[in-house]
Amino acid sequence: MGDVSRLLADYGPAFGQALFLTWKLTVVSFVPGFLLGVVVTVLRLLPLPPLRFVLTGYVEIFRNIPSVALLIFIVFALPDLNVVIDYEPSVVLTLTLVCSAFTADYLRSGINTIPGGQIEAALSLGLRPTRIISAVVLPQALRAVVQPMTSLLIALMLSTSLASQVPFPGRELTALVSKIANDSAAGMAAFAVAAAMYVATGLLIAWAGAALEKKVRILR
Amino acid sequence: MSRPLEDILFGAPSPQAQTVTRVVSVIAAAVLLLLAAGIALRFHSAGQLDARFWEFFAWPTTWAFLARGLLGTLASSAMAAAIALVLGLVLLVGRLARLRLVRWPSIAVIEFLRGTPTLLLIYVCFLVLPSAGIKLSTYWMLTLPIGLSTAAVVAEVYRAGVLAVPRGQTDAARSLGLTEAQVFFLVVFPQALRYIVPALVAQLVIVVKDTTFGYVVTYGELMQNAKVLIANYHALVPVYLVVAALYCLVNYAISRASKRLGGPMH
Repeated sequence: MGDVSRLLADYGPAFGQALFLTWKLTVVSFVPGFLLGVVVTVLRLLPLPPLRFVLTGYVEIFRNIPSVALLIFIVFALPDLNVVIDYEPSVVLTLTLVCSAFTADYLRSGINTIPGGQIEAALSLGLRPTRIISAVVLPQALRAVVQPMTSLLIALMLSTSLASQVPFPGRELTALVSKIANDSAAGMAAFAVAAAMYVATGLLIAWAGAALEKKVRILR
Repeated sequence: MSRPLEDILFGAPSPQAQTVTRVVSVIAAAVLLLLAAGIALRFHSAGQLDARFWEFFAWPTTWAFLARGLLGTLASSAMAAAIALVLGLVLLVGRLARLRLVRWPSIAVIEFLRGTPTLLLIYVCFLVLPSAGIKLSTYWMLTLPIGLSTAAVVAEVYRAGVLAVPRGQTDAARSLGLTEAQVFFLVVFPQALRYIVPALVAQLVIVVKDTTFGYVVTYGELMQNAKVLIANYHALVPVYLVVAALYCLVNYAISRASKRLGGPMH
């Protein structure tokens, strides 16, 4: 315990900043990733074969590629193609792409829980297909995916640790631990503090997700 | 299973709608082709299509080296998966124990391993443990953390399966005079396994992805070998593209297998 208190005396503000950066990276990749995932899901519903083909490829690629491999490609290989993206946007872009692919996949499963009779009913009421998607399909699909999206958000939060793989100006939790472990003998204490912060954040997200799920779930 | 939802949505288009759909399809195809052409042009103008960046892919030694990397990836993944399956069972039994003294520590271990990034655990094995006098080989520095964090997830997957087994099974087994251990290992757990095989296989995809961190500890897996290739040929874009494609192929195959296993069970 003495190790931890000494560590917090030395690095307390640094841990606060690192935790904040971890949260920030999580939010700024989740929000656009989620929205992009919704757009991809809707576009895949449209009866446009070339678009469906390409977007299915998009989802499968970014669902199956390891995030680190994608990040390394964006940071180190893209400059060879004269596309230079700064480190922080690279991390956010990586996480956004991966998040959007998983969102699209989960939403598709959520859509599959909607009985076909509802669509037939909506069509016979004279609603146009685009209106059915926005008024009947999406609201129910979104309510059905709260649980997997909560898991995705937690996984995304843990994935922000890969920001430690690029020379980042700020340090998030994992990068801070690796720096402290390199500089001093307080590695174990630093790890304990960072792990507690990750676990607490994850439990917080899980709790919020469960509360939301309880509120919006559809019992069939 | 009924028809996919989009088929019902757009199932009976009017002739006018059909024309619109066809026109928009053609436009979409044209835009996508233009996009592809733009990317190809970008490769060309950056000189990335030069033969010197690609010719070494015609040499068998390149592929042998990449194959050795892939083998390293699979060796690490397989061991991590084995650790996860066994340790996950231990954690599950602890998690389900009636004794609080066993149950609470098990919950704590599960939440801790599940809630910390695998990369952080790898850094602990790589940077912290050696200073405490514990020296692992690069293989274990990579495999052990992945196995541990996957074990916690697997324990939760197991638990979901166990909870899905109807209560009547337990009651019936007990009334036949089986001991608690027999009830669990002979009746409940085997049935639970059948529910969760797809989820377990899907977890394997995450294990394979996590082994990408092998380059952090310089263990010779696919990503690390890719870095060596790049150092030799200065061909960042082609090598990373090929490696990414290999990862996608392996994981896509596993995903497909898990979807197939998830089909009808009885």
